[in-house]
Amino acid sequence: MIGARRTTCTFCLNGCESAVVFDGYQYRMEYVEDGKVNLGRLCPRGNSANLIIDHPSRLSYPLLDGRETNWSSALEQAKGWLASMVPEQVAVAYSRGLTDRELGLVAGFAKAIGTKNLVCGHIEPENSFNYKAEGVKPATLDQIRGAKAMLLVGDVFMTSPVAAGPMIDARYADADSRLVVIDSIRTRQSGFAHVFIQVQPGTEPFALMALAGMLDRKLKGIDVDRMARLAGADKAKLEAAAKVMGSGAAGFVGSAMHLGRVRYPVLHSLASQLVAQKAGMSFVGFGEGRVPIGPTSFPRLCQAVEAGSIRMLFWFGGLYPYSYPELVPEFGRIEHRVATSIFLPGSALPGYVLPVPSELEKETVGHSYWGQVDRSPVATVYSGARDVSWIIEQFAPGVGPAALDEPAASEPNDIVSRAAETAAGYSTPEAEWTLVGEKRAVGIKGIYDAEDWVNMSPADAARLELCDESYVRVDSDASGDEFRVHVTDLVPAGVLAIGVNRHSNRAMFPLKTGRLEETAIPPTPVNVAKSARLAKPAPEAKAEA
Amino acid sequence: MAKRIVLRLDHCIGCRACEAACMSRFKKEARIRYGEVSATVFVPLACRHCDEPLCAAACPFDVIRRDEETGIVRQSSFHCVGCRSCVMACPFGVMDTKLRRCVSQKCSLCSDRAEGPRCVATCPTGALQFLEDRELEETRLGVSVTGKSAHWRRP
Repeated sequence: MIGARRTTCTFCLNGCESAVVFDGYQYRMEYVEDGKVNLGRLCPRGNSANLIIDHPSRLSYPLLDGRETNWSSALEQAKGWLASMVPEQVAVAYSRGLTDRELGLVAGFAKAIGTKNLVCGHIEPENSFNYKAEGVKPATLDQIRGAKAMLLVGDVFMTSPVAAGPMIDARYADADSRLVVIDSIRTRQSGFAHVFIQVQPGTEPFALMALAGMLDRKLKGIDVDRMARLAGADKAKLEAAAKVMGSGAAGFVGSAMHLGRVRYPVLHSLASQLVAQKAGMSFVGFGEGRVPIGPTSFPRLCQAVEAGSIRMLFWFGGLYPYSYPELVPEFGRIEHRVATSIFLPGSALPGYVLPVPSELEKETVGHSYWGQVDRSPVATVYSGARDVSWIIEQFAPGVGPAALDEPAASEPNDIVSRAAETAAGYSTPEAEWTLVGEKRAVGIKGIYDAEDWVNMSPADAARLELCDESYVRVDSDASGDEFRVHVTDLVPAGVLAIGVNRHSNRAMFPLKTGRLEETAIPPTPVNVAKSARLAKPAPEAKAEA
Repeated sequence: MAKRIVLRLDHCIGCRACEAACMSRFKKEARIRYGEVSATVFVPLACRHCDEPLCAAACPFDVIRRDEETGIVRQSSFHCVGCRSCVMACPFGVMDTKLRRCVSQKCSLCSDRAEGPRCVATCPTGALQFLEDRELEETRLGVSVTGKSAHWRRP
């Protein structure tokens, strides 16, 4: 045994402590039983940390238009591109996987080259938990453990499975404890709920606003009946939830958002917090990562790219920086692109892709739901990779970190008026099929699960004469693919659910930029057709092959 | 004293961390499986390490044997011919029908790890427990496990 290196997991914000052991042949996970938050427990993503370190898809050399190149020529040419630009033509984006210092340096880099186009590229809906409601306190781990009333919105259990442990313990600790779940599909979490409120895909904020209106009858501007109707929620169940949340029992509101599941992420965040405030409870927004909102919104960047005013894009990030170009095909039109990545991109993307170390190879102070955590490197920097700070130094020598401001907290009246404006622009989708994203706590890069299957209700499967393991063709406005069918009553009729870890699955959901400068990747209407592909080859066909 | 993996049915959230931990150790070869009872109920399928293992009885080459001291039913992968007799004999269906490197996959309760099986150590909700028979009786966990269905959740 060469050594066990202890660190804090980077794959969600629960701050689970774990250790990676190198036995001279391979990296192995070890479970730290004295971990304060997790007692040694890890979810599937946490278990994949050892596989990330020496994953065969790790990038170890710069790529130019998908072809291997070297660092010196890459930097020289990219510097030449930058020198030929007017500052306003350059955009600098940042996403997950960067340390606080690296984030500051990226902001400093944008300042140094003189561009105002500094954009948060982490457009996952969970990043909208950066928008805070006034007067809401963050939940502590002790409050979770001692909760008697809990409201969970979205699939919290699959976002941070280890955080589910204390919640389940709290649910069973007292016969009077109550768990309320609001979600558009029946997840495993809903099986634990005393009150499960099923809503139309993406309409959770309306159900939450109705709940807030029930909790505080003096709160003006909320039409409870209309909000419940828009959400398609059972009003009697909402009243039962209001009774639980308004009982004065100690508790918290937990909210999670996923790609393909949320239509209005900012309102989702604010409405969840408003319910917490009205119930006198603390709040925690569950997510895999959170990055500060930049001075320029993502929709504005998209508009500038569309108008052709952005000619060069820097995209800094560690883990999944290349998830988003698939969602935003317009970025392919930008003349010059310089991005960082820890993995080989799935397709030959134009411009430079520079290899950087993963979060597991960096020493930093991290953030968790429950406060700051120390993170130490569990492996040496991957061969050929360079730190983001080193790369920035090459483009702008001597640059220092700059601050990234947080958005101002919203008052209850602002949230109510935002909800009213959103409700006015909402109409119930009339499409026959709606595709939603489902969070599955599978490993990174499809290590444990190929996610090539779609959940379909028994009624829909019977209508299309499909059964488990049949294939179905699903086409959205953005993309299309064939999926194996999994017949389950997890989803209601007319709704299909696919996992959103696989990049090609993410590409099924078109990006929407709303009036309120909001970026969303909502549930999307799709066309569904029975595929000619057989579930399993017939024995004779197999023999011929 | 023999220890066994015990499942608290009403704590499992179906996250498959147990499977991931096993895969992580054995390079994509999960020796614990999961079964979907309904949309919201998943059940991990771990080897019971039976007192009288039928997999061992079915093995034509005596590759699977029970260690009387530890209670672990072990397989010698080197001698396995991949006939799948053990897979078919297992009354609980916990052994994967797929062969890896031409041999069947058999849980060894992570006997290389002093603290116990990895699936138990990783279980996010504590649904999997590694207990001696005596501990099982003391906690009365066995009563709640065997007396209820997998759909059961305490009110």
